[in-house]
Amino acid sequence: MTETTQKEVVPSELTIKEFEAGVHEGKILGYQCANCGLKRIDILEFCPNCHKAELRKTQFSDKGIVLTYTIQFVAPEQYMNEVPYAWAIIQLDDGPKVTGWIPFISKPSDLPVGQRVAFKRSYLPGMVFEKVQ
Amino acid sequence: MRDVYILSADMTKFGKSPLSARELALEASTKAIQEAGISPADIQATFVANAFSIAEKQGHLGPIVMSGLGVPDVPASTIESACASGASAIREAWINIGAGIYDCMLVVGVEKVSQLDTITATTYFSFGSDFVFEGACGASFPGLYGAIARSHMTKYGTTEEQLANVAVKNHENALSNPNAHLHKKISVGDVMKSPVVASPLKLFDACPFSDGAAAAILCSEDFLKSKSLKSTERVMIKGSGRAGGTGALFQRDDLTSLNAAVLAGREAFKMAGMSQKDIDFAEVHDCFTVAELIAEEDLGFAPRGKAAQLTQEGQTKIGGELPVNPSGGLKAKGHPVGATGVGQVVEVYEQLHGKAGGRQVIDARTALTHNVGATGGSCGVHIFQIN
Repeated sequence: MTETTQKEVVPSELTIKEFEAGVHEGKILGYQCANCGLKRIDILEFCPNCHKAELRKTQFSDKGIVLTYTIQFVAPEQYMNEVPYAWAIIQLDDGPKVTGWIPFISKPSDLPVGQRVAFKRSYLPGMVFEKVQ
Repeated sequence: MRDVYILSADMTKFGKSPLSARELALEASTKAIQEAGISPADIQATFVANAFSIAEKQGHLGPIVMSGLGVPDVPASTIESACASGASAIREAWINIGAGIYDCMLVVGVEKVSQLDTITATTYFSFGSDFVFEGACGASFPGLYGAIARSHMTKYGTTEEQLANVAVKNHENALSNPNAHLHKKISVGDVMKSPVVASPLKLFDACPFSDGAAAAILCSEDFLKSKSLKSTERVMIKGSGRAGGTGALFQRDDLTSLNAAVLAGREAFKMAGMSQKDIDFAEVHDCFTVAELIAEEDLGFAPRGKAAQLTQEGQTKIGGELPVNPSGGLKAKGHPVGATGVGQVVEVYEQLHGKAGGRQVIDARTALTHNVGATGGSCGVHIFQIN
């Protein structure tokens, strides 16, 4: 006997405000699915892998590797005084992906794909990462 | 589904315009109505494709446009799916007419952004990303495609010069398009020397911010009969596909392909009962040079990682095996967001009727359009044929 979807639904535990507050405290928050184990930094009600509503708020590693990036010389308003900087897609050590920006990157040789980075702090909405060994 | 015809399609010039969105939409709609030889009173319903009218302090464009056409009682609503708003509106009109709800509809796509300075426009465009996790984290719209380009270069060895080839071709094509935003012949060297916007993408890898509008009148066979119009030598929609993807680019496993485009392409080809070799030319969503290459790979015109060779070998130029973006594409024809997908249909209409002048694809009878929203959160693909 399968449960109805209605019964499976639990309220989403993570709000955008909480995610942003976490970032300011140096914590990267997201979800882990209690059913299939998927880890994801997102705002979700159902798991995009198994479609169960069993997502639990989880704190993830603050270190990872750069999967790809761009170096921005023209930026949205909040970042216009920061150019040039890298905006990167980062895979955290425990699995989920996140995006962040890395200051003082002006040419591709400054940031090889696969570079290890660590979450440092935030003074704009986004997360600032820095290169680490 | 009933057959759906493109009775007419026309556009304003794309570029910087002193006119507002409502005026641009009215100009394109009027041209399409006149080209079709119908009265505005024949229109039963309208979809307006638009993303940023709020930047002009005007929402609810539908009734504004219909009032301007003198038919305020005709229902009209806005369809927004970022840069794919045009294809989405065409698709919804096709569904409405195909299902027998309406016999004659207007689809008008419009955008007006040139009143915004570059930083403000860049900010508006970043609203098409998953803003909490991308735009607000420092990604501009070119930045998202810059990350895509670096992934394609890392995985397949694509070079910046190969990306530049796309810009050179599309600028060349736009020289014969009087409605194009940019009329400027460029070389690979010009692209390589242009200022970096979001590396590896440079200014000449990017489409411009454009104003403009494009409109199409779609109708059923019953409508043609009621107006004593012939149903031969008409452009028909043979296949329509639409699909979605995560709003956020960073959540995807593969950044070198837009899955929404793969799915929408498959749906359109299946519905049309056609394969890639049946297509005489394609108008694809080249918001950045790399996007044209990925479109060719996603639609099955080139194997993964090999699309750059099509451009290099001249296969995608007018007169080549598969001309891509004979209009100049978003890159040079321009990219007034909501108008872009409808503008692609204008190119199809002109080409299939043999009215494309210096950029005419000889003997073109079947064409494909590919219109992407943001980084692939949505995509619409249509296949057209003149009967």
